[in-house]
Order: sequence, then structure tokens, then C-alpha cells
Amino acid sequence: MATPKVDLSRLSLKDALDLATLIEEEAHERYLELADQMDKHRTPGAAKFFRFMAENEAKHGAALSAQRRARFADAPRDVTRAMLFDVEAPEYDAARAFMTARQALGVALRCEEKAYAFFTEALAHVNDPQVKTLFDELGAEEVSHQDLVRRELAHLPPGEDRNGEAFVDDPNAQ
Amino acid sequence: MSTTATAPTRATEPKEFRSDLKPIWCPGCGDFGVLQALYRALASVGRPPHEIAFVSGIGCSSRIPGYTTAYGFNSVHGRALPIAQGIKIANPDLLVIVAGGDGDGFSIGGGHLPHAVRRNLDLTYLVMDNQIYGLTKGQLSPTSPRGLQTVTSGYGSIEDPVNPLLYVLAYGAGFVAQGTPADMPGLTAVIEEALRFPGFAFVNVQSPCVTFGEEEQQLRAHKANMQSLAGLGHDPADRLRAMALASDYGRELHTGVFYRNPEPAPTYDALVRQRQADLSPGVVPRERVLDRFRQDGGR
Repeated sequence: MATPKVDLSRLSLKDALDLATLIEEEAHERYLELADQMDKHRTPGAAKFFRFMAENEAKHGAALSAQRRARFADAPRDVTRAMLFDVEAPEYDAARAFMTARQALGVALRCEEKAYAFFTEALAHVNDPQVKTLFDELGAEEVSHQDLVRRELAHLPPGEDRNGEAFVDDPNAQ
Repeated sequence: MSTTATAPTRATEPKEFRSDLKPIWCPGCGDFGVLQALYRALASVGRPPHEIAFVSGIGCSSRIPGYTTAYGFNSVHGRALPIAQGIKIANPDLLVIVAGGDGDGFSIGGGHLPHAVRRNLDLTYLVMDNQIYGLTKGQLSPTSPRGLQTVTSGYGSIEDPVNPLLYVLAYGAGFVAQGTPADMPGLTAVIEEALRFPGFAFVNVQSPCVTFGEEEQQLRAHKANMQSLAGLGHDPADRLRAMALASDYGRELHTGVFYRNPEPAPTYDALVRQRQADLSPGVVPRERVLDRFRQDGGR
């Protein structure tokens, strides 16, 4: 489980909303990081796509955060970023210099799949019925995101792959 | 007195340790995961950035202090440990972290490591071991496996690698662990434990070089092959068993704590303080030196 320090069996709705918000926040930041990496290594197509994904994650996070505020105002948060690991965020080794748009979409698809797996597996441990409902909804959202990415993938020309001649070299000076 | 990360002063968030400088490592580099694990471990430990000194040598991985908000010193090739020891002795209240690569730590800096271990200063030493000199575009490093073909070994290396785990265990390190970014919760946990250990703590991180490393050394292979020491039923208090398991370096990828001294020895910095106290009875403590300039006389 990507949240080893979270006791899902005792998760309240407030904690669950915070957890879900932090999951989106982590994904948002990671996509931005990957976009920066792509920019630095002359891979603009993937950078653009990762920024698009970052915006989407930010929107989802903002919606969850608004829901949390509406229900629980400024009640203290018990879940922190240190408690979760790459639930929906792409793993660092998913990125490669000169990756194609197709490969970048593949990264996003795997992230939506693992996020879905997280919420569905978590259901087995959750006891609070409101949290179960929330995780059901979030799992369904991940499925709709997967469909969206698959449709985008279908629009891309086939056969596009990493340029084997391209080589990581001369990173930007700092 | 232990000055390690035992007394958190406040709750912190990982993002507090992230600097504005963006890493320029190659996309897919293992060091990104190490950095994330470090942010989380530091947040759990709870010491604020201004109480942390982060020293490194030279190499790709040695850029890491700049990506944190701690006080950083990207120092001289192979000399991170002596500099860190000086910092710790000068200001024992700091949480001092040292980082570098396998070339920096076991080749040019190899002579410093045994002395840092035997002195037992309260330091945490993170080595990002990628078995190659990546920054200089792929030459043999001290942990490169026999047979590795690189730009400096076109027919394959004819040397056996250094075993960093056995090396530090043999010199008596009180805490020895290994992790990989392929297991982020596990890596974060061993870094956090190392930071909290009162004495010299060594963490070897198998952090693949995505550009010059071998395919079987990449994170995907780690995920398939890594074995948790806890899962093997290893007792980290058993030093001899730890050495037996450490001898698998290069053949097996064991993760977790190899050795944790159940009765940590006094640290060098604590002994220095004790010696200073013994030799200077009645002297005003360092933290009260400035009190004599107060108008109320420090009362």
C-alpha cells in the first residue's frame, strides 16, 4: 500500500478528503517536476503533456479541498504528505529524455490505473460508510480519466517511439 | 548528550525542505527518489531546515544539498566527510548529513571513510551508489561489477568491486542500511532511522544511473529482485549475520537495516563536550558567552 502510515480502518471522512487532496497535490507537483525535466532535456512535447496533466490534478485537488472546507472548515489536518508515496503521481523512473507523446500518455494511463487500484484496494480496509462512498466515487473518476487518456492515445499516430540516437548530454548549467 | 534528530522541535512538511533550485539530473535518475525520500524523512524527524547542515562531495548525487532548504556545502571531491566532521565538532547541535556517490565516497574519498566510522561522530552518510561515474559520462567506479563495459573498459572490467556494506561494518559502524528508490516507503524509513541514530549512520542507496547504468541495475529490476531484510527474518542487532548478508552485495539486493548497535557507543562529539567540561570547570558555557554583554549582566 502506498500509504503505509495511514490507518485506513480508522479513516474519517475529513481524513479521507485530506488524503485524497494530498494525493492530487502530489501528482500535480510530480507532473510539474517531470515537465521541468523534459524542458531541461529538450523534450517539449512530453513537457507540454505533463503540464496539462498537472493542471488537471490541480483542478481535482481544488475540488476536493473545497468539499473538505465546506464540511469541516479549518479543522486541523491529521494526514500529511509524508504519509503517502506515489499514489497517483508518476514514479520518477517513468520519465526518460526524448520520450514521445505516446510514451508520456502511457505514463499518465499507468498513473490513473494505479490510483484506481489504490482506492479499490483501500475499500477492503475502510470502515466508515461515508469514506467508502467517497473512495467509490474517486475510483470511478479514475476509470473515466483512464478512458480519456486511452481516447487521446488512439488519436496519436502509431509507431512513434523514443529516438534511439538521441542522448542525454550537456544538461543546463545552474 | 546526543545531538541527533531525537528531539523534534515542531511538525514539518516535506515541502519545507524543497529549495527553489530544480534538479538537473537525467529524467529517470534514481537520485530523484532519494531526494523525495529525504524530504519525507526530514519532515518526520521534525528538525527545521536551519538546524541542518548538508555536506556533499562532487558528482551527480553531490548536487543534492542544493535541492534542499538546509544549509548546504557542495564541497570538494571525496572530502565531504572531513568537512562534515569539522562542522559537527564546531556546532554539535546541528543535524549533519553527508551525501555523495560511490566514486566520491569509496575511491577518492575512500581514505576518509574508516576514520569517520571509527570516530563515531553523530553523522548520517547517504551514498547514492550507481556503480559508475555518471557525471563524467560513464567510467568504471569502485563499485562497478567485474565485467562491466564502459568507455574506460571496452573489454570489460577485470576488477572486483568494493563492498561498501562490509567495509563500514568491518570498521564498526553502529548503523548500516541499504535502500532503493524502487521501494520509497522502505528507503524513507531507513533514512529516517539513520537520522535518528545517535552516532555514525551509513545508508547505501542503490540509485541507478539511467544514462550509463546497466539495464539490470535499473529500478524496474530492483522492484523484481529486492529482498527485505525484515522479510528474511534478519535481526539487525546480529552483527555477524549482518556481515554475512552484506557479503551478498552485487549479487543480491537486500534492503533495510543490516546492523543497528543496540547499545550505541558514545559519540565523538559527546566525548569532546565531556572533555571540554572536564578541562574547563567554572567556564561559562558556550550558549551563555554572550550573556555578559547584557545590561542586566545575564541575570
